[in-house]
Amino acid sequence: MATYMNMDQLRFLLYEVHGVEDVFQLPRYSNFDKESLEILLDSAKAWADQDWYPYFREMDEKPAYFKDGKVIIHPHVKKIFKDAGDNGWIGMYFDHEHGGMQAPHFIVNAINHIFESANNHMTGYMGLTAGSAHLITTFGKQELIDRFVPNMLNGKWAGTMCLTEPQAGSSLSDVKTMAYAQADGSYKIKGQKIFISGGDHDATSNFVHLVLARIEGAPAGTKGISLFVVPKFLPETEAFNDVITAGDFQKMGQRGYCTTHLVFGENDGCVGWLVGEANLGLKQMFQMMNGARIDVGMTATSTATAAYYASLQYAKERPQGRRIESNGRKNPNQEPALIIEHADVRRMLLKQKSIVEGALSLLLETAKHVDFALEGEGDQKKENHLLLELLTPMAKTFPSERGKEAIDNGLQVLGGYGFCTDFILQQYYRDIRIMSLYEGTTGIQSLDLLGRKITMENGQALQLLMARITETNQEASNYDELKPYVKQLEARLGDVQKVLGRLIPMAMAGDYESFLADATIFMEMASGIVVAYQWIKMATAAKKALVTGTGAFDTAFYESKIHTMKYYFKYELPKAIACLETLMNEEELTIVQEKQEVFG
Amino acid sequence: MKILVCISKTPDTTSKISFVNNGKEFNSEGIQYIMNPYDEWYALVRAVELKEKNGGSVTVINVGDVSSEIVIRKALAIGADEAIRVDVVPESSLQVAKEIAAHAAGYDLVLTGKETIDYNGAEVGAMLAELLDLPYVSFAFKLEKEGEDWLVSREVEGGTETLKVGGPIVLSAAKGMAEQRIPNMQGIMMAKKKPLNVVASIGAEKGSVVASHEMPPAKSGVKMIAPDDMDTLVKLLHEEAKVI
Ligand SMILES: Cc1cc2nc3c(=O)[nH]c(=O)nc-3n(C[C@H](O)[C@H](O)[C@H](O)COP(=O)(O)OP(=O)(O)OC[C@H]3O[C@@H](n4cnc5c(N)ncnc54)[C@H](O)[C@@H]3O)c2cc1C
Repeated sequence: MATYMNMDQLRFLLYEVHGVEDVFQLPRYSNFDKESLEILLDSAKAWADQDWYPYFREMDEKPAYFKDGKVIIHPHVKKIFKDAGDNGWIGMYFDHEHGGMQAPHFIVNAINHIFESANNHMTGYMGLTAGSAHLITTFGKQELIDRFVPNMLNGKWAGTMCLTEPQAGSSLSDVKTMAYAQADGSYKIKGQKIFISGGDHDATSNFVHLVLARIEGAPAGTKGISLFVVPKFLPETEAFNDVITAGDFQKMGQRGYCTTHLVFGENDGCVGWLVGEANLGLKQMFQMMNGARIDVGMTATSTATAAYYASLQYAKERPQGRRIESNGRKNPNQEPALIIEHADVRRMLLKQKSIVEGALSLLLETAKHVDFALEGEGDQKKENHLLLELLTPMAKTFPSERGKEAIDNGLQVLGGYGFCTDFILQQYYRDIRIMSLYEGTTGIQSLDLLGRKITMENGQALQLLMARITETNQEASNYDELKPYVKQLEARLGDVQKVLGRLIPMAMAGDYESFLADATIFMEMASGIVVAYQWIKMATAAKKALVTGTGAFDTAFYESKIHTMKYYFKYELPKAIACLETLMNEEELTIVQEKQEVFG
Repeated sequence: MKILVCISKTPDTTSKISFVNNGKEFNSEGIQYIMNPYDEWYALVRAVELKEKNGGSVTVINVGDVSSEIVIRKALAIGADEAIRVDVVPESSLQVAKEIAAHAAGYDLVLTGKETIDYNGAEVGAMLAELLDLPYVSFAFKLEKEGEDWLVSREVEGGTETLKVGGPIVLSAAKGMAEQRIPNMQGIMMAKKKPLNVVASIGAEKGSVVASHEMPPAKSGVKMIAPDDMDTLVKLLHEEAKVI
């Protein structure tokens, strides 16, 4: 079987960089230990090898489709769904009392990396089911939990998140779906939702939709949106609940993961139940959003990881051209070199490696903050919460934006074959394209980062992150080989301060449009620097293992980490300097000006 | 029904094998260990299936130091109910059989894998049967309970043989006996709560000691033959590779 991810890389990050054992100290996770984690990782990989990866291409070649009011998906999803439910994979992080395993989010994310690298079309079905069940267990009354959650966690029913409407995508304040209160405490739901992932298919017998809607008479804007649970069939009677599937969007990627158009209450027969408090729906939904965004970041990382290994394999096998000899010539009588010997191909491979491993490290660090933000105590809890808030938009955006670039380079490694459907790179290239769109586009993530997270609580989150980076830099400075890179990272952190020194006064003066106009450029700069910090962390761990001889991996493994860090600093980090130039430039070229016809 | 399954750890199949101490000792540096696949996929999974069908319990036993506990935990995650670890590093098959025999009384069925994938001895099962004075069937690929008897099928030259054996038996399991089971989340978390009893070695004699190991000679390089040069190809296959 082709390599689609590397367990050693994952183990290095878990044990030697991010200290996974720390989370076992939290009382909620005291059931876990290194042995159970090891068996979990191996079991996840064995399952992914057996049931996930072999269906990955097929799910693209035989995509989901809509016929006679139904959506048909690849038949193997049904088996996976059932096995996932029977074997406790859907409810991994849920409480024991809800039938879950109380697994740390850190571990759940590591396991998701294995599954998502094997098959990025499949994980969404399970992830959304867990996410929507989690909304019910967190905010819903016991009665709702009892009615819906057990069958979601056991894989009989699927869950979905219904936010988007034709006129309300990025701007959910424009949601129009209505909820009318009934005498028995339930609501009649009426409206349309589009782009609903996993909204209807033949792998499960029922669907539990978590729907954003306005209660009649609720205030306009985000403060008038409530959250409802709306099943396709009523749990008790199995009666149809007037949720009609109007279609399945045909897409360029993730074609095995259906995307539906749902119509609620076309015949006035759709009933829903309020989850949590009225008018707090969006707020509740956003509390869960960090998890969903980390999920997308991990899917992007994993998709780009699989693409990297596919291109690496090809580069090791394809003979083409000859290396230039010391006399500046090539010897035509020599056997052709493998393309992995050409500097330009190595650059493309290193680029991918530095992006995917850097992204994976960032995602795992973010997931660790989730555990401590939920289960930590006092200051530790608060600090982890702030760091989580700050890192989440970057953990979603860096892998989805830079992952695209990585896969583009992976495809380039294959030359013309990369463009052909016989090879898998084109599928990864298409699949990753959605990651910077759903769960909030890159534009929206960037507004969140600069407009909310940087300034949140007087910039405390940023200060905390800076303190962590300084700590890592100090440790790295124990090793002479790493010192020049620490200096570069410090210089880039200084650049961030410079940029904020220019931008923040705009916000303080109330000129928000100018403040946020280049938020996406700021995201590119900041997330690139945060990944450089991840590389310093990884290189420090590698150096430590080499010096002390205590690591679990061989010398070549650790040296490759340090080498890849150096690549990142030479080729990728300087892009932050270009961002700095743009962000410090005072010309305003993108903001709408009166009477200016830019695009005429 | 009480079933005992003997399990051992072996290097992962992708491990790079080498020896130290003048070829006497296996070099375990950087080696990832797994449960011997014949023990896991066939003996243990079949034992768990039989328990699920007929009731009873499955105990796994391992002779090894604490580093074996990861494979023992995996066996518990797959479905064994309890485990015994005899705390000694094994050096010969006879020693392993004797250490196991000290704990193997009272079981209706004792299963081993057909061999380990490292030393390929295929000895422990037979020795154990002898020590326990029980019937022994080797290389079985099918095992069913029929009344008080066991129906066991095994491969023989050119065909298969099915035996009917009464009473407690010892049996070594080969491919076909069962399908690999991947431990699930629930099983893995439950495994931690199942009993793992560490017992002292009885100090069983080894019988034999390894004098040395030798690695096979390195493979010679690949020879490229032009596609139209069939004569050379046939000659090389005949004279050098000796496959035709
Ligand atoms: C395959 C797929 C699956 C999906 N799954 C789900 C799902 O399960 N549930 C669900 O509810 N939704 C889902 N979505 C919807 C998805 O979340 C939205 O498509 C996304 O939020 C963007 O909304 P939009 O498509 O309306 O684009 P728009 O909001 O129209 O955005 C268009 C462009 O304008 C930019 N933009 C918009 N507003 C601003 C602003 N204020 N400032 C700066 N730039 C702005 C955007 O960044 C983007 O570049 C899915 C979409 C797809 C394609």
